Amino acid sequence: MTDTDRHNARTLSALRHNGGPWLILATGAPLLAGGLLVWQAWTLASVLGNAIEARAPVATLAPGIVLILALLLARAALAAIGDRAGTEAAEAIKLRLRTTLFSHLLAGSPRAATQPQSGAASAAIIDQVEALDGFFARYLPAMIGATVLPVAFGAIILPLDWLAGLLFLVTAPLIPVFMALAGWGAQLATERQARALSLLTSRFADRLRGIVTLKLFGRAEAETSGIVVASDELRRRTLRVLRIAFLSSAVLEFFAALGVAGIALYVGLTFIDYLHLRTTPLTLELGLFLLLMAPEVYNPLRLLAAHYHDRAAAKSAIGEIEAQLGTLSPLPSGERACPGLDPGSAAGRMRGPSPRTVSRKGPLARPKTVDLSPRGRGEARGPLGLAATSLTLRTPDSARVILANADFTIAPGEHAALLGPSGIGKSTLLEAMARLRLYEGGIMLDHRPLADWPEPDLRARTTMLGQKPRIFAGSMAHNIALARPGASPADIRRAAERAHVAAFADALPDGLDTLLGEGGLGLSGGQAQRIALARIYLRDAGLILLDEPTAHLDAELEQVVLDDLKAHASGRTLIIATHSLAVAARMDKAWRIAGETLLPTPLPTGKGRSVA
Amino acid sequence: MKALLTFRGLFATQFKGFALALILSLVTLAAGVALLGTSGWFITAAALTTAGLAFNLFAPSALVRGFSFIRILARYGERLAGHDATLRLLADLRGWLFARLFPRLPIADRSLRHGDLVSRLTADVDALDTAFLVAIGPIAAAFVIGAALTGVLAWLLPGAAWLYGLCFAAAVLAVPAGLVLASRRAGKDVVSRAAEARASVLDGIEGHADLTVFGVLGTAQSDFATTAQRLAAARGRLSTLTAVAGFAVQALAALALAGTLWLGLDALAAGTVEGPVLAGLLLAVAGSFEATSTIVRSVGKLTTAMAAAERLTAIAEAPPAIVDPAMPAERTADATIVLADITFGYGGPPVLTNLDHIVAPGEHIAITGPSGIGKSSLLGLLLRLADPQAGRITLGGVPLPALRQADIHAGMALLSQDSPLFNDTIRANLLIARPDADDDALWTALADAGIADFVRVLPAGLDTMMGEGGRTVSVGQARRLCLARVLLSPAPILLLDEPTTGLDRPAEAAFFETLHQAAQGRTVIVVTHAAIPEGTMDRVLTLRGGMLG
Repeated sequence: MTDTDRHNARTLSALRHNGGPWLILATGAPLLAGGLLVWQAWTLASVLGNAIEARAPVATLAPGIVLILALLLARAALAAIGDRAGTEAAEAIKLRLRTTLFSHLLAGSPRAATQPQSGAASAAIIDQVEALDGFFARYLPAMIGATVLPVAFGAIILPLDWLAGLLFLVTAPLIPVFMALAGWGAQLATERQARALSLLTSRFADRLRGIVTLKLFGRAEAETSGIVVASDELRRRTLRVLRIAFLSSAVLEFFAALGVAGIALYVGLTFIDYLHLRTTPLTLELGLFLLLMAPEVYNPLRLLAAHYHDRAAAKSAIGEIEAQLGTLSPLPSGERACPGLDPGSAAGRMRGPSPRTVSRKGPLARPKTVDLSPRGRGEARGPLGLAATSLTLRTPDSARVILANADFTIAPGEHAALLGPSGIGKSTLLEAMARLRLYEGGIMLDHRPLADWPEPDLRARTTMLGQKPRIFAGSMAHNIALARPGASPADIRRAAERAHVAAFADALPDGLDTLLGEGGLGLSGGQAQRIALARIYLRDAGLILLDEPTAHLDAELEQVVLDDLKAHASGRTLIIATHSLAVAARMDKAWRIAGETLLPTPLPTGKGRSVA
Repeated sequence: MKALLTFRGLFATQFKGFALALILSLVTLAAGVALLGTSGWFITAAALTTAGLAFNLFAPSALVRGFSFIRILARYGERLAGHDATLRLLADLRGWLFARLFPRLPIADRSLRHGDLVSRLTADVDALDTAFLVAIGPIAAAFVIGAALTGVLAWLLPGAAWLYGLCFAAAVLAVPAGLVLASRRAGKDVVSRAAEARASVLDGIEGHADLTVFGVLGTAQSDFATTAQRLAAARGRLSTLTAVAGFAVQALAALALAGTLWLGLDALAAGTVEGPVLAGLLLAVAGSFEATSTIVRSVGKLTTAMAAAERLTAIAEAPPAIVDPAMPAERTADATIVLADITFGYGGPPVLTNLDHIVAPGEHIAITGPSGIGKSSLLGLLLRLADPQAGRITLGGVPLPALRQADIHAGMALLSQDSPLFNDTIRANLLIARPDADDDALWTALADAGIADFVRVLPAGLDTMMGEGGRTVSVGQARRLCLARVLLSPAPILLLDEPTTGLDRPAEAAFFETLHQAAQGRTVIVVTHAAIPEGTMDRVLTLRGGMLG
């Protein structure tokens, strides 16, 4: 067992505590059912023994038969209850883990280099967490059963027949030992088999992911036969491994069969006086009881073997989750290491902006509800000025400098344009001003260091439209209201009109209640942009940051949208990153990013629509 | 079920293997039942005998030992045969899917790019691979064992045969069928709740900045907690149904055992059955329900397999978006590209409107413009990954729809924004573009892409494994390796979509200089945001409002 392996196993057992009483029920029910099994086997043996040996009439045996039926039904019910409780426990554990992971993800800075890709993160939170199911629902109860039941059965049988009891007591605990011995190789082989299979699956997924590229290079036929050949080659190798791997389960079967056959022969030979190992004569009743119990002693072990792969699957899932989202170990205690940048440690070189105020309170702490309505927070209103001193920005992986030692000031209520070709760093600068990413140097917002603003205040007083705003699954109105939860339909309507959303929404049968697919499916780029723009009109911000708000609009619409924006932004500070000189022409001042510096630039005068 | 049946052809090719596995699993079960039955009969007979040492113990003890070993060997063989057939099926199924998928590319819903479809297809194929091993096999084996024991009972204990037969049939047929019907809705709920939860996670990550800016992270968290809770509740409902079905199977087994006992004791009193035979039969009946222990789980896997089959057939039998012409024209050596009056959109407003353009052979042009404006769509149209709604594109004077897709693709090499590196060696990744290329050609392409020095110092050089999704190299290096692959291709036209993503400014400038040299004589169309050094491109065009200018 490697260190990672052990670590994963520890993490799994730590998660167990979230299962609560359901997990206790899931483990307890099979144990109780095991106890009833002994009673049932004894009753069946005595009914048969009495009927066959003592020729007892059916009528006197009736209570026994009814008891057997009742015990069988009770055991069936216990099994069902245990099964259901196991699922409940697993669901509770998975729910808890999922919400914790999600909160943790949101607690990190949205632009940190360590934030995982959305596909990988959703796979980890949904699929990998799902893979833990079998471990808690089935493997854990089976493991407890396999540890307790065979020994308990042996101990019960020992006083009745010392040889049979001894046989059970010795062989049952020995089985895992033999399985381990016979299959030191087998264990290795099982792992190799799992690896081979996952290699094949990942090759398949790998080729599937790049299948369009393969088609464009004319590789359709070659890849189709290639995947078959590779699968077949792996089959040959896997089978060589399986031949050994299955030996360990054959060992289990061997002992189970040996137990039954051994007991049958021992009891039979004792009856015909061939063996004289007992001091008291053996009754048919006891003989049948021993025979009935023989397979049951080995059954819990078989069950465990059947669920053994659940454990391996869960361990690898834990590994995958941690690879994507960071370590899980201290999670059950409520505090956990965050994979994101730690604001404290970054304090030396970087002036720590704290987009992670939420995370400091622990992943489950929720930010206080902020009244974001124009009427709320009336005490703090008006435009906010912004000043940067020797501001340096880097790409999230710190590999490239985007802006070096820039100084600039924007007076309260001023409207400024930020020009420069795409990819030069306009968005990065806007995001730094919105405290969405790390920066070096100082940014003062309203004469107060940006880093010192409490998160709720900052969010209430500033707002931003990003370059690729997310359209969430839900209705258009729901998407607009994101900016102010609880906004009235009339407010949403007005915002939609000002952002020119109503123009296309009203053409749809459901208007603003039209449902949008995840990621804005069904909208053009310009429409998605305008829905996101409508959000701005629901906010009463002193600083508005807009990233290419008119990128997808034609010249005519661009001017109309700008008219409304300018109206809303009067008495507020506005910073727009844009390509469009037509947009820049309507601002109070403009900067251009070029060669890692920020240069003041004269306002374009021409009304013609040219491109920066 | 109907969808699953469309795969019977693939299952049939492995018929021998699956049949062998099924027979061996029957032998295993039968040997287990016979072992218990014989033992019960043997010890009862031994207890009743008064003959002492004269009792013939050779036959029964030999039988007991024989059945034990048959059971062990059959079980071992069954697992080996079952896995062998499954692995063979796995190869067939993947080959089948690839053969069906290639002509249908690109898939219309474009989700293949985002990886959802990839993981769904992988999971679906896995579910189908193991359908026999975990679902069809166990159900079939249980059915046969029940029928056989009913036959034995009809012969030795006719009074109890009907009861046992009914109970067993109900456990193997009625309960699974009922479970499938009852759990259909719950199963669908689980799938759609899981999709909702996934969408919620994606919203949270993709919209992280928006949520932060509007101060609504808390709302997003509680929304996700609600969807996750709904998923857990849906799974809980499904699990209740499964638990009830499991109870039903066990209760039927209980009824069969108690009933056979009751009727058997009656028969014993009436003298129509011997004591040892009765004991043997009862133990056999108890043992036979071992076969039903996995049935409920098998039903669950079978439902999964059926749903997987439905999804796979939906993709594999969809009509291809682009069909080759019946009488394809020959591609000419002329590489002139003419776009005439092209209008194209994705169902919404058009992305490109009345676009006209001519690209002369050997010309190097760059196309710039805001992201999402339709630059990549334009490249897709040139490759005929989609057809424009109006207008036409000709390559060397021949309209694209008159050419075979393979011929179009042989004439153009694309570096797409999401160009993948495969989990294979660097050499194999490059050879995809030109399978007959020698090492010199590979090194030239690597040098042109500015990555030769990096590859040269790797211990395994060209034979270095890339890891899944090219995870072992940086994004910039992966990008350059993909570029080397495109440069290696013999195609006279190169289409490069954002080739310099992940490169720093000096490297970016160097790239355009190199491209200028390395692609002399070939047509180059670059879609880019980068600052293009003077003199490296013949023309720089901007795409805006659906027009090139």
